[in-house]
Amino acid sequence: MRIISTLIAVLAAALFAATTTAQEHHDHNQHEQQHDSMEMNHDHHDHAHHEQADQHHDGHAEASSQAVARLTRTDDIETALSEGGEPIVADVLGVVCDFCAIAMNKIFSKRDEVAAIYVDLDTKALSIVLAPGANLSDEMIADLAVQAGYRVAGIRRGNEALGNAS
Amino acid sequence: MKHRPSWAFALAGLLTCEIAIARPVSYAGGWTVIEESDRQSSSALAHYTPSPKWSIGLRTEFNRDMDFAINSIHPTFLAKRWFGADYQGNLYFHGGIGSASGTHGNPLSDETAVYGGVMADWETRSLFVSYRNRYLDAGHFGDQFMQAVRAGFAPYEGDSGELHTWLMLEIDHRPEDQDAVTATPLVRFFKGPMLVELGYNLNVNQPLLNFTYRF
Repeated sequence: MRIISTLIAVLAAALFAATTTAQEHHDHNQHEQQHDSMEMNHDHHDHAHHEQADQHHDGHAEASSQAVARLTRTDDIETALSEGGEPIVADVLGVVCDFCAIAMNKIFSKRDEVAAIYVDLDTKALSIVLAPGANLSDEMIADLAVQAGYRVAGIRRGNEALGNAS
Repeated sequence: MKHRPSWAFALAGLLTCEIAIARPVSYAGGWTVIEESDRQSSSALAHYTPSPKWSIGLRTEFNRDMDFAINSIHPTFLAKRWFGADYQGNLYFHGGIGSASGTHGNPLSDETAVYGGVMADWETRSLFVSYRNRYLDAGHFGDQFMQAVRAGFAPYEGDSGELHTWLMLEIDHRPEDQDAVTATPLVRFFKGPMLVELGYNLNVNQPLLNFTYRF
Protein backbone atom coordinates (compact mmCIF):
# COMPACT_ATOMS: atom_id res chain seq x y z
CA MET A 1 0.00 0.00 0.00
CA ARG A 2 2.94 2.30 0.71
CA ILE A 3 4.14 1.79 -2.85
CA ILE A 4 0.74 2.78 -4.23
CA SER A 5 0.62 5.93 -2.08
CA THR A 6 4.09 6.90 -3.28
CA LEU A 7 3.17 6.31 -6.91
CA ILE A 8 0.02 8.40 -6.57
CA ALA A 9 2.00 11.23 -5.02
CA VAL A 10 4.58 11.11 -7.83
CA LEU A 11 1.86 11.02 -10.48
CA ALA A 12 -0.03 13.90 -8.89
CA ALA A 13 3.15 15.98 -8.85
CA ALA A 14 3.85 15.13 -12.49
CA LEU A 15 0.29 16.02 -13.51
CA PHE A 16 0.53 19.33 -11.68
CA ALA A 17 3.79 20.11 -13.44
CA ALA A 18 2.37 19.15 -16.82
CA THR A 19 -0.77 21.23 -16.20
CA THR A 20 1.35 24.23 -15.29
CA THR A 21 3.40 23.77 -18.45
CA ALA A 22 0.25 23.44 -20.54
CA GLN A 23 -1.14 26.65 -19.04
CA GLU A 24 2.11 28.47 -19.79
CA HIS A 25 1.92 27.19 -23.36
CA HIS A 26 -1.71 28.34 -23.56
CA ASP A 27 -0.78 31.82 -22.33
CA HIS A 28 2.11 31.91 -24.76
CA ASN A 29 -0.25 31.11 -27.64
CA GLN A 30 -2.67 33.84 -26.59
CA HIS A 31 0.18 36.32 -26.51
CA GLU A 32 1.31 35.26 -29.95
CA GLN A 33 -2.16 35.68 -31.40
CA GLN A 34 -1.87 39.41 -30.75
CA HIS A 35 0.90 39.55 -33.33
CA ASP A 36 -0.47 38.56 -36.69
CA SER A 37 2.70 37.62 -38.46
CA MET A 38 4.78 36.04 -35.71
CA GLU A 39 6.07 32.57 -36.42
CA MET A 40 5.00 29.73 -34.09
CA ASN A 41 7.75 28.53 -31.79
CA HIS A 42 7.36 24.74 -31.54
CA ASP A 43 10.78 23.29 -30.78
CA HIS A 44 9.86 19.87 -32.05
CA HIS A 45 8.47 21.20 -35.32
CA ASP A 46 11.68 21.79 -37.16
CA HIS A 47 10.88 19.65 -40.16
CA ALA A 48 12.10 21.49 -43.20
CA HIS A 49 9.00 20.69 -45.16
CA HIS A 50 6.58 21.97 -42.51
CA GLU A 51 5.86 25.66 -42.37
CA GLN A 52 3.43 27.04 -39.85
CA ALA A 53 2.63 30.61 -38.95
CA ASP A 54 0.19 32.45 -36.74
CA GLN A 55 -2.05 34.86 -38.49
CA HIS A 56 -5.18 36.49 -37.12
CA HIS A 57 -7.60 35.15 -34.60
CA ASP A 58 -10.80 33.94 -36.27
CA GLY A 59 -12.95 34.76 -33.25
CA HIS A 60 -14.42 31.28 -32.88
CA ALA A 61 -15.16 30.74 -29.21
CA GLU A 62 -14.20 27.07 -29.03
CA ALA A 63 -10.99 27.60 -30.97
CA SER A 64 -9.95 30.61 -28.95
CA SER A 65 -6.78 28.99 -27.65
CA GLN A 66 -5.77 27.72 -31.07
CA ALA A 67 -3.50 29.67 -33.36
CA VAL A 68 -4.87 30.16 -36.86
CA ALA A 69 -2.93 27.73 -38.99
CA ARG A 70 -2.00 27.90 -42.61
CA LEU A 71 -1.38 25.02 -44.99
CA THR A 72 1.16 22.49 -43.78
CA ARG A 73 3.51 21.79 -46.66
CA THR A 74 4.41 18.15 -47.00
CA ASP A 75 5.91 16.70 -50.17
CA ASP A 76 2.49 15.40 -51.28
CA ILE A 77 0.89 18.75 -50.65
CA GLU A 78 3.62 20.60 -52.57
CA THR A 79 3.11 18.22 -55.50
CA ALA A 80 -0.66 18.70 -55.44
CA LEU A 81 -0.22 22.48 -55.26
CA SER A 82 2.14 22.45 -58.23
CA GLU A 83 -0.54 20.64 -60.21
CA GLY A 84 -2.95 23.48 -59.58
CA GLY A 85 -5.11 22.12 -56.77
CA GLU A 86 -6.97 24.42 -54.40
CA PRO A 87 -5.47 24.59 -50.90
CA ILE A 88 -7.84 24.31 -47.92
CA VAL A 89 -7.14 24.48 -44.21
CA ALA A 90 -9.74 23.34 -41.70
CA ASP A 91 -9.38 23.87 -37.95
CA VAL A 92 -10.56 20.67 -36.26
CA LEU A 93 -11.68 20.39 -32.66
CA GLY A 94 -10.69 17.40 -30.58
CA VAL A 95 -7.69 16.26 -32.59
CA VAL A 96 -5.24 15.23 -29.88
CA CYS A 97 -3.66 11.95 -31.01
CA ASP A 98 -2.52 9.87 -33.95
CA PHE A 99 -5.77 7.87 -34.02
CA CYS A 100 -7.55 11.18 -34.65
CA ALA A 101 -5.18 11.94 -37.51
CA ILE A 102 -5.65 8.48 -38.98
CA ALA A 103 -9.43 8.82 -38.89
CA MET A 104 -9.27 12.12 -40.77
CA ASN A 105 -6.79 10.71 -43.27
CA LYS A 106 -8.91 7.60 -43.94
CA ILE A 107 -12.16 9.50 -44.41
CA PHE A 108 -10.82 12.33 -46.58
CA SER A 109 -8.46 10.20 -48.65
CA LYS A 110 -11.42 8.18 -49.94
CA ARG A 111 -12.67 11.24 -51.80
CA ASP A 112 -11.60 11.64 -55.41
CA GLU A 113 -11.62 15.41 -54.91
CA VAL A 114 -8.75 15.19 -52.41
CA ALA A 115 -5.27 15.05 -53.94
CA ALA A 116 -3.25 15.45 -50.73
CA ILE A 117 -3.96 15.66 -47.03
CA TYR A 118 -2.06 16.19 -43.79
CA VAL A 119 -3.31 16.42 -40.21
CA ASP A 120 -1.07 18.61 -38.06
CA LEU A 121 -1.47 17.80 -34.37
CA ASP A 122 0.50 20.90 -33.39
CA THR A 123 -1.98 23.29 -34.97
CA LYS A 124 -4.99 20.90 -34.88
CA ALA A 125 -5.46 21.74 -38.53
CA LEU A 126 -6.36 19.63 -41.52
CA SER A 127 -4.49 20.64 -44.66
CA ILE A 128 -6.03 19.58 -47.95
CA VAL A 129 -5.17 20.21 -51.57
CA LEU A 130 -7.92 19.36 -54.01
CA ALA A 131 -7.39 17.70 -57.35
CA PRO A 132 -7.22 20.24 -60.23
CA GLY A 133 -10.73 21.44 -61.05
CA ALA A 134 -12.32 19.58 -58.13
CA ASN A 135 -14.62 21.17 -55.59
CA LEU A 136 -15.37 20.24 -51.98
CA SER A 137 -17.86 22.48 -50.20
CA ASP A 138 -17.45 23.68 -46.63
CA GLU A 139 -20.55 21.68 -45.72
CA MET A 140 -19.05 18.50 -47.18
CA ILE A 141 -15.76 19.06 -45.34
CA ALA A 142 -17.67 19.53 -42.09
CA ASP A 143 -19.70 16.37 -42.77
CA LEU A 144 -16.58 14.32 -43.54
CA ALA A 145 -15.02 15.52 -40.28
CA VAL A 146 -18.13 14.32 -38.43
CA GLN A 147 -17.78 10.91 -40.11
CA ALA A 148 -14.25 10.81 -38.75
CA GLY A 149 -15.62 11.63 -35.29
CA TYR A 150 -14.58 15.28 -35.06
CA ARG A 151 -15.87 18.79 -35.64
CA VAL A 152 -14.66 21.59 -37.86
CA ALA A 153 -14.32 25.02 -36.27
CA GLY A 154 -13.28 27.02 -39.31
CA ILE A 155 -12.27 26.66 -42.96
CA ARG A 156 -9.93 28.80 -45.05
CA ARG A 157 -9.24 28.48 -48.75
CA GLY A 158 -6.86 29.77 -51.38
CA ASN A 159 -4.51 32.55 -50.36
CA GLU A 160 -5.96 32.65 -46.88
CA ALA A 161 -5.10 28.97 -46.43
CA LEU A 162 -1.61 29.59 -47.77
CA GLY A 163 -1.11 32.49 -45.38
CA ASN A 164 -0.93 35.06 -48.17
CA ALA A 165 -4.12 36.94 -47.27
CA SER A 166 -3.61 40.55 -46.25
CA MET B 1 -17.81 -7.56 0.64
CA LYS B 2 -14.48 -6.23 1.81
CA HIS B 3 -13.99 -2.84 3.32
CA ARG B 4 -13.52 -0.37 0.46
CA PRO B 5 -10.47 1.87 0.89
CA SER B 6 -11.77 5.43 1.01
CA TRP B 7 -8.70 6.91 -0.69
CA ALA B 8 -9.32 4.80 -3.78
CA PHE B 9 -12.81 6.19 -4.17
CA ALA B 10 -11.61 9.70 -3.49
CA LEU B 11 -9.05 9.27 -6.25
CA ALA B 12 -11.72 7.88 -8.54
CA GLY B 13 -13.85 10.92 -7.94
CA LEU B 14 -11.00 13.33 -8.50
CA LEU B 15 -9.79 11.80 -11.70
CA THR B 16 -12.88 12.10 -13.85
CA CYS B 17 -12.24 8.63 -14.99
CA GLU B 18 -10.73 5.74 -18.12
CA ILE B 19 -10.34 3.39 -20.75
CA ALA B 20 -7.91 0.66 -21.26
CA ILE B 21 -9.33 0.55 -24.74
CA ALA B 22 -8.11 3.61 -26.58
CA ARG B 23 -10.92 4.98 -28.72
CA PRO B 24 -13.38 2.05 -28.58
CA VAL B 25 -15.34 3.67 -31.41
CA SER B 26 -13.47 4.49 -34.61
CA TYR B 27 -14.27 6.49 -37.75
CA ALA B 28 -17.16 5.46 -40.00
CA GLY B 29 -16.12 2.32 -41.83
CA GLY B 30 -13.09 1.63 -39.63
CA TRP B 31 -11.93 -1.72 -38.24
CA THR B 32 -9.97 -2.09 -35.01
CA VAL B 33 -8.37 -5.05 -33.26
CA ILE B 34 -7.62 -4.84 -29.55
CA GLU B 35 -5.79 -7.24 -27.25
CA GLU B 36 -5.76 -6.70 -23.50
CA SER B 37 -4.13 -8.68 -20.72
CA ASP B 38 -4.30 -7.61 -17.10
CA ARG B 39 -3.95 -9.21 -13.67
CA GLN B 40 -7.15 -11.23 -14.06
CA SER B 41 -7.94 -11.88 -17.69
CA SER B 42 -6.81 -11.75 -21.30
CA SER B 43 -9.10 -10.70 -24.12
CA ALA B 44 -9.25 -10.01 -27.82
CA LEU B 45 -11.77 -7.76 -29.54
CA ALA B 46 -12.28 -7.01 -33.21
CA HIS B 47 -14.80 -4.27 -33.88
CA TYR B 48 -16.30 -2.42 -36.81
CA THR B 49 -17.58 1.14 -36.64
CA PRO B 50 -20.65 1.74 -38.85
CA SER B 51 -20.96 5.32 -37.59
CA PRO B 52 -18.77 7.43 -35.31
CA LYS B 53 -21.48 6.99 -32.66
CA TRP B 54 -21.12 3.24 -32.12
CA SER B 55 -19.14 0.12 -32.89
CA ILE B 56 -19.95 -3.57 -32.87
CA GLY B 57 -17.47 -6.36 -32.35
CA LEU B 58 -16.70 -9.92 -31.38
CA ARG B 59 -14.85 -10.41 -28.13
CA THR B 60 -13.14 -13.40 -26.52
CA GLU B 61 -12.11 -13.19 -22.88
CA PHE B 62 -10.21 -15.72 -20.79
CA ASN B 63 -10.63 -15.28 -17.06
CA ARG B 64 -7.46 -16.86 -15.69
CA ASP B 65 -8.50 -16.53 -12.04
CA MET B 66 -11.83 -18.33 -12.39
CA ASP B 67 -11.08 -20.64 -15.32
CA PHE B 68 -13.75 -19.66 -17.76
CA ALA B 69 -13.94 -18.01 -21.15
CA ILE B 70 -16.58 -15.74 -22.65
CA ASN B 71 -17.28 -15.35 -26.35
CA SER B 72 -19.56 -12.39 -26.86
CA ILE B 73 -21.00 -9.77 -29.17
CA HIS B 74 -19.66 -6.47 -27.93
CA PRO B 75 -21.33 -3.15 -28.84
CA THR B 76 -19.96 0.20 -27.67
CA PHE B 77 -21.89 3.47 -27.84
CA LEU B 78 -20.34 6.91 -27.80
CA ALA B 79 -22.85 8.76 -25.63
CA LYS B 80 -21.06 12.10 -25.68
CA ARG B 81 -17.90 13.63 -27.04
CA TRP B 82 -16.71 16.96 -25.76
CA PHE B 83 -14.61 18.89 -28.26
CA GLY B 84 -12.16 21.65 -27.71
CA ALA B 85 -9.26 23.12 -29.60
CA ASP B 86 -6.87 21.45 -27.17
CA TYR B 87 -8.82 18.61 -25.60
CA GLN B 88 -11.24 15.81 -26.17
CA GLY B 89 -13.53 14.08 -23.69
CA ASN B 90 -15.64 10.99 -24.24
CA LEU B 91 -18.38 9.08 -22.47
CA TYR B 92 -19.06 5.54 -23.65
CA PHE B 93 -21.44 2.77 -22.72
CA HIS B 94 -20.24 -0.71 -23.47
CA GLY B 95 -21.69 -4.15 -23.02
CA GLY B 96 -21.89 -7.65 -24.32
CA ILE B 97 -23.83 -10.86 -24.37
CA GLY B 98 -22.45 -14.29 -25.11
CA SER B 99 -21.58 -17.72 -23.86
CA ALA B 100 -19.36 -18.58 -20.90
CA SER B 101 -17.52 -21.91 -20.93
CA GLY B 102 -15.20 -23.59 -18.45
CA THR B 103 -11.48 -23.78 -19.19
CA HIS B 104 -8.54 -25.70 -17.71
CA GLY B 105 -10.76 -28.60 -16.61
CA ASN B 106 -13.50 -26.44 -15.12
CA PRO B 107 -16.46 -28.89 -15.18
CA LEU B 108 -19.25 -26.30 -15.10
CA SER B 109 -21.59 -26.33 -18.08
CA ASP B 110 -21.89 -23.48 -20.54
CA GLU B 111 -23.82 -20.43 -19.39
CA THR B 112 -25.11 -17.20 -20.86
CA ALA B 113 -22.95 -14.26 -19.83
CA VAL B 114 -23.89 -10.60 -19.92
CA TYR B 115 -21.86 -7.57 -18.99
CA GLY B 116 -22.00 -3.82 -19.24
CA GLY B 117 -20.42 -0.67 -18.01
CA VAL B 118 -19.28 2.87 -18.56
CA MET B 119 -16.04 4.28 -19.87
CA ALA B 120 -15.01 7.91 -19.83
CA ASP B 121 -11.84 9.75 -20.73
CA TRP B 122 -10.47 13.24 -21.11
CA GLU B 123 -7.20 14.03 -22.79
CA THR B 124 -5.04 16.71 -24.25
CA ARG B 125 -1.80 16.07 -26.09
CA SER B 126 0.03 15.82 -22.78
CA LEU B 127 -2.50 14.89 -20.10
CA PHE B 128 -4.85 11.94 -19.80
CA VAL B 129 -7.39 10.76 -17.23
CA SER B 130 -9.94 8.03 -17.58
CA TYR B 131 -12.32 5.71 -15.79
CA ARG B 132 -14.02 2.49 -16.69
CA ASN B 133 -16.18 -0.01 -14.94
CA ARG B 134 -17.90 -3.26 -15.76
CA TYR B 135 -20.36 -5.59 -14.12
CA LEU B 136 -20.33 -9.17 -15.38
CA ASP B 137 -22.94 -11.83 -14.69
CA ALA B 138 -21.73 -15.20 -15.91
CA GLY B 139 -24.31 -17.40 -14.17
CA HIS B 140 -22.78 -20.21 -12.15
CA PHE B 141 -19.32 -19.02 -13.14
CA GLY B 142 -19.96 -16.03 -10.92
CA ASP B 143 -20.50 -12.31 -11.13
CA GLN B 144 -17.83 -9.66 -10.95
CA PHE B 145 -17.56 -5.92 -10.67
CA MET B 146 -14.45 -3.96 -11.49
CA GLN B 147 -13.54 -0.34 -11.92
CA ALA B 148 -10.31 1.42 -12.77
CA VAL B 149 -9.00 4.93 -12.97
CA ARG B 150 -6.00 5.91 -14.97
CA ALA B 151 -3.97 9.10 -15.20
CA GLY B 152 -0.95 9.87 -17.28
CA PHE B 153 1.14 12.44 -19.03
CA ALA B 154 3.25 12.64 -22.14
CA PRO B 155 6.79 13.86 -21.53
CA TYR B 156 6.83 15.35 -25.06
CA GLU B 157 4.27 16.07 -27.77
CA GLY B 158 4.77 14.09 -30.95
CA ASP B 159 3.25 15.15 -34.25
CA SER B 160 1.35 12.99 -36.75
CA GLY B 161 3.15 9.73 -37.48
CA GLU B 162 5.82 10.23 -34.83
CA LEU B 163 6.30 8.03 -31.78
CA HIS B 164 4.13 9.22 -28.90
CA THR B 165 5.07 8.10 -25.39
CA TRP B 166 2.89 8.26 -22.29
CA LEU B 167 3.65 7.43 -18.68
CA MET B 168 0.57 6.27 -16.81
CA LEU B 169 -0.67 4.83 -13.56
CA GLU B 170 -3.77 2.68 -13.34
CA ILE B 171 -5.53 1.93 -10.06
CA ASP B 172 -8.07 -0.85 -10.31
CA HIS B 173 -10.64 -2.01 -7.80
CA ARG B 174 -12.11 -5.51 -7.81
CA PRO B 175 -14.06 -5.91 -4.57
CA GLU B 176 -14.26 -9.71 -4.73
CA ASP B 177 -10.50 -10.19 -5.06
CA GLN B 178 -8.11 -10.77 -2.18
CA ASP B 179 -6.14 -7.76 -3.38
CA ALA B 180 -9.13 -5.52 -3.97
CA VAL B 181 -7.17 -2.43 -4.96
CA THR B 182 -3.99 -2.64 -6.98
CA ALA B 183 -1.71 -0.30 -8.89
CA THR B 184 -0.18 -0.78 -12.32
CA PRO B 185 2.32 1.73 -13.66
CA LEU B 186 2.62 1.48 -17.42
CA VAL B 187 4.10 3.04 -20.47
CA ARG B 188 2.06 3.64 -23.61
CA PHE B 189 3.68 3.81 -27.04
CA PHE B 190 1.59 5.23 -29.83
CA LYS B 191 2.67 5.43 -33.45
CA GLY B 192 0.39 5.75 -36.43
CA PRO B 193 -2.32 3.07 -36.32
CA MET B 194 -0.67 1.09 -33.50
CA LEU B 195 -0.80 1.46 -29.74
CA VAL B 196 1.10 -0.72 -27.27
CA GLU B 197 0.92 -0.57 -23.47
CA LEU B 198 3.38 -2.33 -21.19
CA GLY B 199 2.89 -2.35 -17.45
CA TYR B 200 3.36 -4.33 -14.28
CA ASN B 201 0.92 -4.78 -11.43
CA LEU B 202 2.89 -4.06 -8.27
CA ASN B 203 0.54 -5.81 -5.88
CA VAL B 204 0.01 -9.17 -7.56
CA ASN B 205 3.13 -9.25 -9.75
CA GLN B 206 1.29 -9.64 -13.04
CA PRO B 207 2.23 -7.98 -16.32
CA LEU B 208 -0.10 -5.77 -18.31
CA LEU B 209 0.06 -5.95 -22.09
CA ASN B 210 -2.38 -4.10 -24.30
CA PHE B 211 -2.25 -3.75 -28.07
CA THR B 212 -4.51 -1.86 -30.46
CA TYR B 213 -4.32 -1.60 -34.22
CA ARG B 214 -6.65 0.57 -36.26
CA PHE B 215 -7.23 -0.25 -39.93
